[in-house]
Amino acid sequence: MTTLTTRTKSLRAASGPEGARVRNRKRAARREGAFGWLMISLSAASILVFTALPIVFTFVLSFFSWDIISPPQFVGLQNFTHLAADQSVIHSFGVTGLLAALIVVLQIVVGLAMALLVQQRKSTWARSIFRTAFFLPLLVSAASISIVFSYLFDDHFGVINYYLQLLHLPAVAWLSSSAGATATIVIVAVWQQLGFVFILFVAALGSLPKDVLEAVSLDGSGPIRTFFSIKLPLISPTIFFAAVIGLINAMQIFDQPYVMTKGGPGDATTTTVMLIYRTAFQNIQFGYGSAISVVLFVLLLVLTGLQFLISRKWVFYS
Amino acid sequence: MTSFLSSPVSRRSVLIGGAALLGTAGLSACSPSGASSSGSKTLNVAYFGTQQAADATAKVAQPFIKANPGVTVKFNGINGTDWNDFFTKVLTQIAAGNPPDIVSVATEGVQLFAQKKLAHPLDDYVKRDKDQLAPYFKDVHPSLVEAMMYQGNLYELPTDFNAGNMYFNTNLLQKSGLQLPSPSWTMDDFHSVATSLKSNSGAVPFDWVVRLWGSWTSFMYANGGNLVTEGKYTGGDWLWSQFYANDPAAAGRGGGWKWGAPTANSDAVVESLDYMVELANSGLSAKPDVGGGSTLQGLFASNKIGMSIGGGFWAGGLHNAGMQNGSFDVQFFPKWKVQRHLFGTGGYGIFESSKNKDLAWEFLKSLVEPAAIDVLTSGNSTTPARRSMMTADRYSTTGPKNWQVFYDTLDKLPNTAPIPAPPYYNAMANALNQRTTQAMSSGNAKSALDGLQQDLETAAASVGS
Repeated sequence: MTTLTTRTKSLRAASGPEGARVRNRKRAARREGAFGWLMISLSAASILVFTALPIVFTFVLSFFSWDIISPPQFVGLQNFTHLAADQSVIHSFGVTGLLAALIVVLQIVVGLAMALLVQQRKSTWARSIFRTAFFLPLLVSAASISIVFSYLFDDHFGVINYYLQLLHLPAVAWLSSSAGATATIVIVAVWQQLGFVFILFVAALGSLPKDVLEAVSLDGSGPIRTFFSIKLPLISPTIFFAAVIGLINAMQIFDQPYVMTKGGPGDATTTTVMLIYRTAFQNIQFGYGSAISVVLFVLLLVLTGLQFLISRKWVFYS
Repeated sequence: MTSFLSSPVSRRSVLIGGAALLGTAGLSACSPSGASSSGSKTLNVAYFGTQQAADATAKVAQPFIKANPGVTVKFNGINGTDWNDFFTKVLTQIAAGNPPDIVSVATEGVQLFAQKKLAHPLDDYVKRDKDQLAPYFKDVHPSLVEAMMYQGNLYELPTDFNAGNMYFNTNLLQKSGLQLPSPSWTMDDFHSVATSLKSNSGAVPFDWVVRLWGSWTSFMYANGGNLVTEGKYTGGDWLWSQFYANDPAAAGRGGGWKWGAPTANSDAVVESLDYMVELANSGLSAKPDVGGGSTLQGLFASNKIGMSIGGGFWAGGLHNAGMQNGSFDVQFFPKWKVQRHLFGTGGYGIFESSKNKDLAWEFLKSLVEPAAIDVLTSGNSTTPARRSMMTADRYSTTGPKNWQVFYDTLDKLPNTAPIPAPPYYNAMANALNQRTTQAMSSGNAKSALDGLQQDLETAAASVGS
């Protein structure tokens, strides 16, 4: 009944001067809409062509066997059943999980620690210097950094072992032992990505409500208590954001192991994305490589969903 | 513009516009290079190296372009850490619908390209132009030619090669009171040179790179082992009887190497890798990296390494790294059970999909002229396939003093053979890299090679050897 009355009113208005104003407003809105479409069309097209379509293509290809040269052959779920029993795939997920866990935890802990230290500097000048210094590695390509670090960490000719031996410490098999190679990749990945997490925490700590901190201080709370009981809960949304983004990035780690260890020694640092690259682009098994990509994609979705679920218990938004 | 902005935009028009845009993008991505599809006189050459190197090499085409007015030759540099990387990129280029007319392919990829019917056999062209090619074949060792054959067909004319010889840093040899070993030196001699270098020079006595060519695989060849069984395809008589009728080195040649069942965990292979593990554990060698070897050359040039495996290309590499002529030298690889060397050879092949095969063949012929090979091997970046081009003058700037070793490896050691490169070469190279580092890290060569055996069996089964 109400709808009918509204419609009748608007029909009456449409025939008078009020109607002309409505029509003009609608025309202006349409014009604005068209301009909006024009503005986003290039981005939308590029996302469609370079992101959405390849993703769809990967999903489709995971049901095929394709060596680039011959036409693709439909194999149904064969790629997925094969990878479920493929030890190299299972192992790569293990390696990736271990690396991701170490990288994310260390990035958050070290990034937060450094942000706290920088925040304590009274001099704005010193803060700027530290912020820039910690952020700089993020601007350099991971491949370049990995090349430099592979020279530094070289077992026989590297600077790090040279100084260790000068200090009468044993040389470490940084790149030629499983544990050493894993540790080296974690160190390099954390060092490079730290700037991003660090900047997030600097911003979060800088925006903490001053009245709350002053009140806590007046109540006689020490720095450790203040950190764990006040600051940490208040920046928990930032920690959560850093954990989600960090995990998604770390699960796709490729540059550092590819450049520094080629996945070795053996397959100790062969990550899932490396295995996808090797399977698809080097062994020319694009269908199988796509199936592994799909599994990684689904796993990342599940892990991110889990993080959101768990976050309800420890992230405080108010 | 105004009318467009003022007109309402329906969902349908956006979808139609989007589809048209995608269609255009898709079509432009799928269309092959204009040159070869239209049959115009442009030859596209896929070249393994940077674009800068490709541009420098492109001058090799100048005499051909001059002799064929209206023809252009485009060298497209495809960079990669090794041949494996290069093939991956060429295959991706093919998948993108943009195959080149000609591709530079070394031993590593000959059978891969031939088995996939990507390369065009040259037999008919060679038979047709036999008189013109006779001087070339007379000048090239038959083992290099045979390495370019697959199932009786010839796919490339070799332009260059590299055999795995042993390089010595002569500064470090002198510091250790040693001299260049004799050509018939043995593994015991090698061990004693390494021990002396360790004690007296302070450098790492021996270093190597994990890869198929000139790696621990050189020790494996000298120990009489191989990763796969060796055989020969039938056929090829048309070539041997035509060009090598009176050459004893051509006796027993067939239609190309037939790489059979994997033998990666055979006794000789295990013993070879075990030796490398022991060498590293005793400090006589560094634990190797996976890669193309440029870092190794840098370390060798800075007097940090006493010995390493290298081919003719090391002469140019070490010279470019700053080593003076005389500060390094070369000798045959030592004898273990046999003094067998491995080699790889390079050349250019014609793509089956090329619309300009006849023209491409004419260009290929021009590439094996001495002047062209001179450009392709300039700075001793590799070793000429033509014996007559191996002269003292060629090595007078770069060294080494004992440069004759390069071609003598083919002429004086008849059991020298190409690296095993079946059609599943990519999978083989990846597996070899992985299992070698596993063995070096764990110290258990047998277990790693059992794994390699499995990897190769799987790869062979999936591709079909």
